Amino acid sequence: MEQLEIRTLVQSVLAETKELEGYFIVRAQSRREWSMRLSNGRFDRVSTGGDSGFGVQAFTKEGASGFATSDVLSPELGRKLVEKAIGLARRNEEIGSKRNRQIWEAPLIQEQIENPSQKIFGEISLVELQEKVMVLHSRLRDGFPEGSWQTSYRQIEEVWCMGRSDGTLVSFVIPRAALMHQGTVRDQGKAQSTLVHRSGMDATVLFEEITDHTLETKAMDRAAFAKAVCSAPLLPSGHYPLVIDYGLAKGLAHEAFGHAVESDHMNESVLGEAGKLRKGLRVARPGVNIIDGPLIGDWAYQPFSANGLLRQTVTIVEDGVLVAGLGDIFSAEDAGMPVTGAGRAESYGQIPLPRMSNIRLLVDRMLPLTVAEHLMDEVKGVRETLLCHGELLEGTKNLLLLGYRGGQVNPKTGDFVFQCDGIIDVADPTLPIYQPSIFSGKILSALEAIRGGLGEGAFDAIGTCGKGGQSVASSGGSHRYLLMDVDQQVSLGGEQA
Amino acid sequence: MKLVAQLEDLLYQSQQAPKKEELRLSAWRILVHESEAVSLGIKDNSPGSVYTPPSYRQGESGEVFLVWADGTCSQALVQLPFQNEREFWSNELEQWRQASYEDPDAAHIPTPEALPLVAVEDRAIQQIIAGQDEVLFDQVKHWLTEKPSNSKMQGSIQAAWGYRHVRTSTGLAVTYQQSQFVTWFSFDSLVGGGFAKRRLIRPEEREDLWTQTVNHYEEMKKEAPSVGPQTQVILSPSMTEEMLGQFILPNFSGDRVLEGQGAFSKESFLEQKLVFHPHVSLIIDPLQPLELGSYLVTPEGVPAQRTMLVREGLLQTPYLRVKEAIRWGAKPTALPQGMGGLYLKHQYEVRWEEALQEVEDGVLVLSVLGLHTQEAVSGSYSLSAPHSLRILKGKIVGRTDVKLTGNFLADLAASTTRMAHSNLNDHPYLILKTGVQTL
Repeated sequence: MEQLEIRTLVQSVLAETKELEGYFIVRAQSRREWSMRLSNGRFDRVSTGGDSGFGVQAFTKEGASGFATSDVLSPELGRKLVEKAIGLARRNEEIGSKRNRQIWEAPLIQEQIENPSQKIFGEISLVELQEKVMVLHSRLRDGFPEGSWQTSYRQIEEVWCMGRSDGTLVSFVIPRAALMHQGTVRDQGKAQSTLVHRSGMDATVLFEEITDHTLETKAMDRAAFAKAVCSAPLLPSGHYPLVIDYGLAKGLAHEAFGHAVESDHMNESVLGEAGKLRKGLRVARPGVNIIDGPLIGDWAYQPFSANGLLRQTVTIVEDGVLVAGLGDIFSAEDAGMPVTGAGRAESYGQIPLPRMSNIRLLVDRMLPLTVAEHLMDEVKGVRETLLCHGELLEGTKNLLLLGYRGGQVNPKTGDFVFQCDGIIDVADPTLPIYQPSIFSGKILSALEAIRGGLGEGAFDAIGTCGKGGQSVASSGGSHRYLLMDVDQQVSLGGEQA
Repeated sequence: MKLVAQLEDLLYQSQQAPKKEELRLSAWRILVHESEAVSLGIKDNSPGSVYTPPSYRQGESGEVFLVWADGTCSQALVQLPFQNEREFWSNELEQWRQASYEDPDAAHIPTPEALPLVAVEDRAIQQIIAGQDEVLFDQVKHWLTEKPSNSKMQGSIQAAWGYRHVRTSTGLAVTYQQSQFVTWFSFDSLVGGGFAKRRLIRPEEREDLWTQTVNHYEEMKKEAPSVGPQTQVILSPSMTEEMLGQFILPNFSGDRVLEGQGAFSKESFLEQKLVFHPHVSLIIDPLQPLELGSYLVTPEGVPAQRTMLVREGLLQTPYLRVKEAIRWGAKPTALPQGMGGLYLKHQYEVRWEEALQEVEDGVLVLSVLGLHTQEAVSGSYSLSAPHSLRILKGKIVGRTDVKLTGNFLADLAASTTRMAHSNLNDHPYLILKTGVQTL
């Protein structure tokens, strides 16, 4: 479904609300996806399809809300959903729900953003895509035959349109593509897996990979590392000076910090006090900055919120001080922060929640690092740079944590955990490898421990934000590596010390 | 016209009299869900907040699997067309053809067999969807009245009801009704309880779940002594379920076993290798009445049946879809529905109340952070579990924060591992000797 059709549909549903008291937001989404997966040399799945539909969020004039959705994109259903949504809103009023009239304050916006992709969805045929993915998969298998390999490719196009009772009508297209290699390697009876990806807006990702082999090299290096991890010893648990890669840094910024400044979390956030953002709080050393905002061409790109407001780029931490949060129209005021258009939803079928887009953690104190083609060459480069600048802390292991396997945080208590693919002691010239162990602690302590960055910014660490049971594209990064001091509130798990 | 009917027409015609010969199908199958759901939530003690309003959802979507005359396959997700049915489906068919790929093992549609009788629908849930939804609103009111003072409560109730249609070119045409009722709540985002079945929660279950959760919350307010090297670790049923989902389910996927990406090799299954303790068995059982993992027929048209994955510690089979069954040389098995339908059993399970009395020095783990980040193939875990409950001399005495280190596959093989059950849960409490230290 094209933007014009979806705008027409939203307008026709909004027309059904004209005679009704209250306020309405209509969200429609048309999503197309082509995906394929190869497993050890053959196609395991090629799938086409999508998920389209629309939702009506209704507010009584007092501000009680109700929500109704359908996956049938039909103007005839508009009336039914409008009636369902306002009916539920009225029921909601009767149970003493918390009223929210903030949507009446939202600015009127009428925008239509053109599709930013270089190769539009369908321009490269499925047959050609299959051929290219097969070439990439085969090349990887030939290059690292001892691994068991799966290669996946997805390309997605989401057309969104939001209309509101005040006449707002905003539509845009989000194109997204990702190529992934997942490998399983075994050594000495133990197995480890590794997952690498390359993302962008469209099939250009495949064309670039065919030319420069960047992901293939990364996959083989990571598989060799995973193999070494199979037989690697466990570290004694404890507190160490750390070097974390930008994938982990994105995880730290997203899970351990970004969620804690979202406006709907202020009542239970370690960065909130009496429901308000603790603006002015020093959360890191001077020179540490955290920024969130959409980047064109990025996996988590979204120019407008799912409530039809402009998505702003926000400096959350400036020079180590908490200065702003991620506010959506419904909770920003209560949370003591401006509305930044932070509302995002997985689809038309979910209520938008304040959440991040691309979050970057950057420090003013950056040591230069030459990016190497191969992983272990880069690790050697990290060690040499640290030695050269007197940054290797003596008398202890200096541990480089590689690869981000995900994490979790309790925003109320500030507890976080992350997992990596493996660990290297860069204080030891032989660069010994250790098994991954959990990186955990208190988020404010982790931020306070950041003392510098290594290399230029890399912001293409992608993931999926699972807040509120939804699955929304997220991304971010930092310098290629971040340096962290020893902190008694940040530890690595492992063998009992 | 219903989606399933449109698809049947389209695929039947493409099999019998295609518009172009290259669009001729030799076989196909269709799965369509028609569903309606209502839900209501609580956020920060506020019922029906702007983020958790009463909601209604309707859907009609599904998937098709096609085998073309040249033996190649296609699969696609499908929804009702926006407009111009005829042109839409004609274009879709062309695109599906373009997306075809070779997978001879997948190109098999089972012939219909007798279906078991399994209860998967609670008519009371249909009434809620039809408008008698006071039960949802009353429940929320009750929660907020009864919740511990000063606690911040979050919660949700959802009721869903609908039709499931399975059609195949070999003659299977099944349509049945199914329902779902899912509810959960938590206090201060630290302690929670939940229920998920194909039937409404019974009053006594609701009461027991509430009492247990409130008690845990109150016990969490007291500080307890730290754990020591001899402390037993007890995983709560919801933790056991999560550990099974992270470490066991992926390693029993036929696909992963066949591709060498699981913890166990195909040979290990064929040799019926001992991998768990002989008292431990693992079963997929979709025949249990009104359980979330129960069904009549798989999306591929295979009737529901009970499958032993591990019998008395010995590997039996991974779970196999049609394609994997052909590659394995066996019949397709039962399939888990997420974690639904998977049951871990111990020959000498006791009631939780009894087991608790015997714990001299233990810690009850209700939740952990970061489980999904752990390596499934190795089974190893390194987890932090803040807000666990300390047990001393058979009694819960307060809160403690711990870190766990171990291997879940080894835990299930250990002679020291015991299990206990409670009426509130399908999964057992797991009583383990594993690495535990103060966080």
